[in-house]
This record gives sequence, structure tokens and C-alpha cells, in this order.
Amino acid sequence: MAEPRRGTTLFTALLIVVGTAVVMQLWLLTAAMDALLAQEYGLLLPLTLGSFLLFALNAALLKFVFDFDRRVEQR
Amino acid sequence: MNDHGCDECTKKNADKQWKRDFPIEWEKDHYVTRREMVKFLTLGSAFLVMANGVMAIAGRLAKPGAFQRRTVALASAVPVNSSVLFRYPTDEDPCILVRGTDGQLVAYSQVCTHLSCAVVHRPEEGVLFCPCHHGYFEIVEGRPTAGPPTRRLPRITLEQSGDVIFATGVEV
Repeated sequence: MAEPRRGTTLFTALLIVVGTAVVMQLWLLTAAMDALLAQEYGLLLPLTLGSFLLFALNAALLKFVFDFDRRVEQR
Repeated sequence: MNDHGCDECTKKNADKQWKRDFPIEWEKDHYVTRREMVKFLTLGSAFLVMANGVMAIAGRLAKPGAFQRRTVALASAVPVNSSVLFRYPTDEDPCILVRGTDGQLVAYSQVCTHLSCAVVHRPEEGVLFCPCHHGYFEIVEGRPTAGPPTRRLPRITLEQSGDVIFATGVEV
């Protein structure tokens, strides 16, 4: 039961990071909507890039979760 | 170490028959729930980046609207430090034409950028005023100077031919 216990602690930390990233993405989406309505099209690409970087971080963390799961299953 | 009260849970479970019959592995349960939550949030993150991408594409495809030239008023009918209301680019879009104290003609959308109330000209103060939440805009560029609005009023571009003033476009 040691591995799931460590996993629980680990996933709690991961949840905080991923949750924060998603909240930041929501904020970027709101800013993008505001820029689109204000016809400030130059802002849209940087905002999308920022959102993509946060998604890449989340995807990397999810891959780590899958790897961790695999290790748990192997033991 | 009592992590998440699980040792305590086990002790409590031990004294009840139904809990002994249906034991819950709290560690495993927390492990699975949090792992699933990380997956769910990452999926949400993917949707958010897609929504942002759709907006970026919409911004790329958006073309500045072609505006019709429309008669607004006669220049001689707008004395210094006064205003005239008109509608542009459609009959649903209220606008205001103002001649400032310097004699310069400017026109703006009458829709306040805060919560869309109609702004009015206050000649005694030389400003455009939104009565709903006391927003103030200066006349030369339509920028907000006081109150809740943070964005300037959309400007209506004007052309003058003889005594006739035409609206030719909207600058957001």
C-alpha cells in the first residue's frame, strides 16, 4: 500500500499544479474573447501560444501520471 | 503517520459489522480519484487551448467591415459646443456627433463601453457623460477620464463635402 500512498500525495501536488494551469488558461480565454470583441487581433496569437504552453505542461504531467501508473502495475 | 485519516478510518471500520462486510480501501480510492481528476483537468485544458485557437483563427479571418457612406448632418446645423444624434452603420447603432469648443467635429458610438448605456454630451463640462454609472469620456479622442469605463468609445470616421457631413467608417 506504500505506492498508492505516495501516489496519492504526488497526485495531490499534481492536481494543484494542473488546476492552477487550467485556471490560468480560463483567464487567457477570457482575455482572448475580450481582444476578439475589441478587434485587437494582434493579441490573439500570443494568448493562444500561452494557453498551448500551459496545455503542454499539463500533458507532460499527465504522461508522468501514466508512467507512474505503469510502474505501480508492474510491482 | 495518519495520512488523510485512513488509519483512523480503518479503526472506525473495524467496530461496525457493515463496514467489515464492505471495507473501503481509502488509499486506493484517493489514488484513483485524484489520478482521474488530473486526466479530466488535462482534457479540459485541451478544450481550452482549442477554444483559444478557434478565436485566433477567427481573428485571422476577420476582415474589417466595409462601411457605407452615410449622411449625418449639415455642418452648419451643428453650432460650436453642441451635438447631434445619428445612427451608423445601421439604424440600430446610436452615435453622437459633437462639435467641440475648438470647432472640430468628431463622432463616436453613443454606446458606453462599460455597460452599453447611451452617453450624452455635456457642453458645460466639455465631456461625454454616461448617466448610468457616471462614466466620463473626453471629446477629442473619446478616451475614458473618470468612472468605470476603461475602453474608449468607438470613433466614427467623418468626411465633409461642402456643408454635408458623411460617416464613412467605425474605428474600435
